[in-house]
Amino acid sequence: MCHVQRVTAPALLGIPVLLAGCTGPYSTLDPAGPAALTAAWLWWAMFGFATLVLLGVVALWLYAMIRDPGAIDEHEARHVQYRWIIGGGLVLPMGSITLLLAFGVPAGHGMLPLGDDDDVLRIHVTGHQWWWEVEYPQAGITRRDELHIPAGVPVDIHLSSADVIHSFWVPRLGGKLDAVPGHVNVLRLQADEAGTYHGQCAEFCGLLHAHMDFAVYAHEPGDFDAWLEDAQGDD
Amino acid sequence: MTEPRAPRAEALHQRFERVWSNLPGWGTLAAVNHTTVGLRFMATGAVFFLIGGILAMLVRTQLALPEQEIIGPQLYNQAFTMHGTVMMFLFAIPILEGLALYMIPKLIGARDLAFPRISSLGYYCYLFGGLIILSSLFLGVAPDSGWFMYTPLSGAEYTPGPGPDFWLLGITFVEISAMAAGIELTVSILRTRARGMSLRRMPLFCWYILAMALMIVFGFPPLILASILLELERAAGLPFFDVAGGGDPILWQHLFWLFGHPEVYIIFLPAAGIVSTLIPVFSQRPIVGYRWLVLAIIVTGFISFGLWVHHMFTVGIPHLAQAFFSVASMLVAVPTAIQVFAWLATLWLGRVVYSLPMLWILGFLVVFVCGGLTGVMLALVPFNWQVHDTHFVVAHLHYVLVGGMLFPLIAGFYYWLPQLSGRMPSHVLGRWGFWLTFIGFNATFLMMHLTGLLGMPRRVYTYEGGLGWDWLNLLSSVGGFIMAAGIAMIILDITLHFRFGRPAGRNPWNADTLEWAVDAPPTSYNFASLPKLPTRHPLWEQPDLPESIAAGEHGLSSIEHGRRETYGTDAVSGRLREIIHLPGNSWLPLLAALSLAVVCISLLVRAYPAALLGVVGALYFLLRWSWVNGVHPAMAPLVDDEPTDPPLHSRTCDGPGLWGMVITLMANGTLYLSLLFGWFYLWTAAPQWTVPEQRPLDLVPLLGAGVLLTVATWVFNRLVARLRAGESVDLGRGFWGVAMLGAGHVGLLVLVLWNGSLEPTERAHDAVLLVMLIYLLLHGGLCAILTGMQALRVRLGYVGPRLPYEPVVLRPLWIYTLGVFWTAFAAFILLPAAWGSA
Amino acid sequence: MLSPSHPVHLVLGLVVWSIWFVVLYGGLSVACAVAPPPVAMGPLTWVNAVLGAITLGVTVLLLYLARSCWRTVPVVEEEGNPSRFVTQVAAGVHLVAAAATLAVGLPLLVLPPCP
Repeated sequence: MCHVQRVTAPALLGIPVLLAGCTGPYSTLDPAGPAALTAAWLWWAMFGFATLVLLGVVALWLYAMIRDPGAIDEHEARHVQYRWIIGGGLVLPMGSITLLLAFGVPAGHGMLPLGDDDDVLRIHVTGHQWWWEVEYPQAGITRRDELHIPAGVPVDIHLSSADVIHSFWVPRLGGKLDAVPGHVNVLRLQADEAGTYHGQCAEFCGLLHAHMDFAVYAHEPGDFDAWLEDAQGDD
Repeated sequence: MTEPRAPRAEALHQRFERVWSNLPGWGTLAAVNHTTVGLRFMATGAVFFLIGGILAMLVRTQLALPEQEIIGPQLYNQAFTMHGTVMMFLFAIPILEGLALYMIPKLIGARDLAFPRISSLGYYCYLFGGLIILSSLFLGVAPDSGWFMYTPLSGAEYTPGPGPDFWLLGITFVEISAMAAGIELTVSILRTRARGMSLRRMPLFCWYILAMALMIVFGFPPLILASILLELERAAGLPFFDVAGGGDPILWQHLFWLFGHPEVYIIFLPAAGIVSTLIPVFSQRPIVGYRWLVLAIIVTGFISFGLWVHHMFTVGIPHLAQAFFSVASMLVAVPTAIQVFAWLATLWLGRVVYSLPMLWILGFLVVFVCGGLTGVMLALVPFNWQVHDTHFVVAHLHYVLVGGMLFPLIAGFYYWLPQLSGRMPSHVLGRWGFWLTFIGFNATFLMMHLTGLLGMPRRVYTYEGGLGWDWLNLLSSVGGFIMAAGIAMIILDITLHFRFGRPAGRNPWNADTLEWAVDAPPTSYNFASLPKLPTRHPLWEQPDLPESIAAGEHGLSSIEHGRRETYGTDAVSGRLREIIHLPGNSWLPLLAALSLAVVCISLLVRAYPAALLGVVGALYFLLRWSWVNGVHPAMAPLVDDEPTDPPLHSRTCDGPGLWGMVITLMANGTLYLSLLFGWFYLWTAAPQWTVPEQRPLDLVPLLGAGVLLTVATWVFNRLVARLRAGESVDLGRGFWGVAMLGAGHVGLLVLVLWNGSLEPTERAHDAVLLVMLIYLLLHGGLCAILTGMQALRVRLGYVGPRLPYEPVVLRPLWIYTLGVFWTAFAAFILLPAAWGSA
Repeated sequence: MLSPSHPVHLVLGLVVWSIWFVVLYGGLSVACAVAPPPVAMGPLTWVNAVLGAITLGVTVLLLYLARSCWRTVPVVEEEGNPSRFVTQVAAGVHLVAAAATLAVGLPLLVLPPCP
């Protein structure tokens, strides 16, 4: 089941097939962080609206095909033309777009790593064919294919690549961002609760692209500090 | 099949056939006729479609169950790369080009396209390029870095094998055919329409094809440039996309998608043109909102060039810039919605006739609207960050491309089959084909949206079980095979109908457009006489038009002179301007394409001397081609009873050649601007961009080259102006002088290159500079050679006051060359100098 | 000055739009590469101001062109020029281009330029 308390839209739409299969370690529909939650909400809203539009347009077409137009004069024909082209061709898409952007643009803005840079934990992640090098610059720790983060607070992942382009993606926490050689991109992620989350490379990066996965361990803040100390001891 | 001709029409037919038919036997390879070439394009495209389909089956078989090892990652990566490449470049675009080449002259009342030999060259480039790409699959070295070839993965370091070379060289070779079709269709639609067919009377299909053709002209050059640059990087180490050398891999993505997004509309627009053609016919009333549709076509053509970054929302571009592209991507839904509702209104007002093509149109509507809606979703940046590069995108793009292109294309095939064969397809088989394809398609791709939402990335060769993806993938694979069965049914139906189909008679759908006035199967010359068309619906208003055309009652019905002729008309009003004489069967396109194939294969195996030989061969055949023109004995020699009102086009100052030259230069200019874009992009965005401490080129000879070029262009312009005024004193000597000046210009450029301290393998800066210099050199050289040929032609009497055509055609090339030289000088020499001093 | 019924108006509006689009995206990229304003200023930066001003200017220009095309639309279509069809569609193209300019420029009001 999807998180029903968070995402009620599917219940309204009554699509049982979708309801049954929304969870999974990589599911964007099973969000566990604010960015992923926003994206999931956007999806369900757009899905509902798009379904209505699709059904509406197809129903209209079918009706237009079977209806008997009778005798129509030029004047009436022009009237029909304006009704459909202006109503369906202009008002419908422009209204929908405006609505979508009014929610979407601020939503995207909210996912960016803006402000209070100093408080946010920085983790450097470098993509390699076909593994992820994870580095905690403040603590001097490096890991392979595993990230440890504190739960409930945002962290900034500074992404780059040592060879080809990869894409860093933890679907349950938020959107993906590319790791491009020569560039550093910053992705802000947050896990609301402690737990293990799964990530993978999303940009095709060669032979073993399919096996370039990693794990994100979110710890309660206290536990995270303990892990950090522990790990520093190990290194 | 069409009923037997009246005796008079039959006699006329025999005489026309003698002039217009293809050569017998092997001579058919020299055919330039648009019907023949169009059919060859479509048949070849259909074969590539089947190959692409088999690759898709391979992909779906591998993914049917988790953790399968039927084909390993090596083969899988080749399979999905080749599936995308074949479907996009070797099926979708060529088959639509083929349809357009076949259809356009018939729709606009012309006997052939404006440049028949170019049709043939385009076909051979497509065929040979396609075979070269395909051969990589059988050699086991097919490209395997995805059909958009992202660097650095496709670079020499991470893919040392020849796979990407096959892709880059082969696709560039194939793109010659797209450019050829783009230029030829543009000029033909604008300049060879029937008399009286003003813009507002043009069938909508022509508007769609015009938009497609112009989009090819502006959309393909960025890809061609990008491919050349990447091949130079791979073969010669010029670091355009290599960070360490001052390049940037993101530049590849910009150039690729600058092409790649318009391409989606290049594919969609002709298909929408089919829909706009069929719906009025099956509603038995004119389309509703013709002007709105024309507006929507124009708007789509432009806005689709402002969307490319929506393929790059995750590469780390400023969010504000992403927002621009996000809005533009959604805006393009508006013209699409206008079209959908104009079609709806037409159905609403008409009395709809049920038929197989309409079934496909209905399928198109459902699938395409669904794809359009997910497209709007993908344009929303924060949602895109989640589903980009997942199977959601795979599902979306198949909904748009299969729904928006394949379904209307099959509708169009079924609609036009009686025009081609004179027979009707079977309804039973056809319906089975539709429903199997429709159900199979949706089974494959509908739930694949969910696969993506559940986190399955695209291009993975396998996946673990238990992630929620298992049953979805199995469903998709089963659906894929159902769809394959549907396609097989359609092929069976179409094959069988050629033999068993019931005779269709003329115009079986009661259509309004002129292609139904052509015999079925079509004659080589289309129309024995060319009618005036003061209407958008000729066959609805004048049902007896086919008979009067065949009887020779309209224009240009005399053929005794032995020239292939069609009317040249004004681009806007459709007023008669000249008689265009067209070349007949020619081996030159085949020979030129074969030489280019030698170049392509030699570059692949890095046999550079052989490549040089190929270049020389291609140059020879192409120049020979330009030689056999105008009053050359093999073309349209001067005769006593020359038509004068209107005159033959080669006796005027503004024929299709000039239009072809200008459109070609627009494409060329786009390539050049893409290079300038690359220069500025790297300058501002490449992480390790370095500028050499000393200017690597000598300023004095460079300026000298510019002065020579300026003088040459000025003199050439003066000569052309005097020629237009009817003066020809010293014309030949003047052209010789201009050619010499051009040669001097080239010489100085070579000197600059020779003495320069360019280190193109060390620095992207120098590499771009080198490419620009070579570009200027090629243009200067071409101008000089062609002007030298004009001087020769003056001496032979092919060019003179009565025959001013060819220098007029050549003039824009000189002006263009001058323009690119000085803008290059400003961008590569002046601007950096000013920047450095600031 | 071209006559408003010249067929070039069928594409002119959108050509202007394309050039503006290149200026907008190129200008933003160069500004962010050369002198990115501080993120804390939000959308109230010189970059947004300059690009916004250009956007408004282009919109007004396109609206003016749309109006001048619309005013020359002949009442009935006659053989020969000026064509009612061409001027009508041209007016539409200019209007669409103006709307597209304004719409694509709107994010300038709410988003900071560079992050």
